[in-house]
Amino acid sequence: MTAQASPNAAEQDLIDRINNGFMVECEEDMTPKYKNALITQLTVQGDTELLSAPAYYLATRDAPTINSRIAVTAIVHDELGHANIAYRILEDLGVDRQWLVYGRQPNEFKHPYGFDQPLENWAEMVVANGFFDRAGITLLSDVHQHTSFGPLKRALVKVDREEVLHLRHGESWMKRLAKAGGEAREALQRAVDWMFPMTIEWFGLPDDLKRHSGQLVYRLKGKTNDELRQTWMSATVPLCEGIGIAVPAHLDAATQAYVLDYPFPCQYDPEAKRWLFDQPLTWDQVFDRWKARGPMNERYIEMLQGRKDGLFGGRTW
Amino acid sequence: MVTAERVWAALATVTDPEYPLSIVDLGMVYDVHVAGADVTIDMTFTSIGCPAIDMILDDMRQAVTLVEDVRAVHVNVVWSPPWTKDRITPLGRRVLRLHGVVN
Repeated sequence: MTAQASPNAAEQDLIDRINNGFMVECEEDMTPKYKNALITQLTVQGDTELLSAPAYYLATRDAPTINSRIAVTAIVHDELGHANIAYRILEDLGVDRQWLVYGRQPNEFKHPYGFDQPLENWAEMVVANGFFDRAGITLLSDVHQHTSFGPLKRALVKVDREEVLHLRHGESWMKRLAKAGGEAREALQRAVDWMFPMTIEWFGLPDDLKRHSGQLVYRLKGKTNDELRQTWMSATVPLCEGIGIAVPAHLDAATQAYVLDYPFPCQYDPEAKRWLFDQPLTWDQVFDRWKARGPMNERYIEMLQGRKDGLFGGRTW
Repeated sequence: MVTAERVWAALATVTDPEYPLSIVDLGMVYDVHVAGADVTIDMTFTSIGCPAIDMILDDMRQAVTLVEDVRAVHVNVVWSPPWTKDRITPLGRRVLRLHGVVN
């Protein structure tokens, strides 16, 4: 709506052409506003992939077998590759790739709050694959399907294929832990308890509060936040119900939409890894929590960037 | 009756988790032995560090268990002879080329 509210001719012309199926291929095809919206989208995308790597990497140590450790190490490798794909495209748009990885402060990265949290056991690792990577596929397959930017559409073919593998890894292990019963099952339930609302929040502002979306106007994505949240729940809620793991959401028979069983959004206690369902928040308060970043933010960035007193003496490559 | 042909046909439905290409067309299955209702499969992986080993083994066991009259499935993973790209079938090569994997 921002773009349409101030309809200069070039802007409206681009939007019209995009609506008629025009694919943007290079900077000359863009308006400055289109370019800014694309840069924001790619930065979030790249940073999310990048920060999943140190989070998952620390949890590879909890893998119960050598084959499963190889599998999650390969996932870390894939995620770094996906980050590079987004950053490489940003480079073509004039953003310095070195700066993206090494030049920013920890709190300047644009990944979701979920990747500021520690993954402390194998159950949390596989729920991350089952929930966070499902969120990644939900978001990126929508971009792949709808984006008006040709280079990204082509690049996402490889990303989507690899994310499907991560998801399968996560879901098959979730089933296995549920079936094992006992402590494994309890750890799985504990992981789901904090990671389900974490992923729900990841999809951002609900549609009735969303003021405008350049991403939708320029067809950089197709679905709204609420639609994406529904898509994610339509896969995740039945998965958990099928293995007897409780989630705070259910399918409403009348509307055939998934409904959350807690006040959304609400407060999170990162030390206890617990959602405080009795403390509802405004979205401004959520944004403050996100901006303050979570407990692992500095550690993860330090792992990626190196540190002055560390092994490589603060060298940036 | 369980036959090696039926087991091979079942294995041909097991695909690589990333590409729509069967483990048979990838040249990963070396031999199939049938003894009554028991099946033993000699196979390899494209690398020792293959991240999909568990997934592929699960899929193989499931596919072969569904073959009529099969009672037990043993998968014997071997590293000799080693897998090389030459083991990919002509059909496999076409599928990989279609998906941008150069070979």
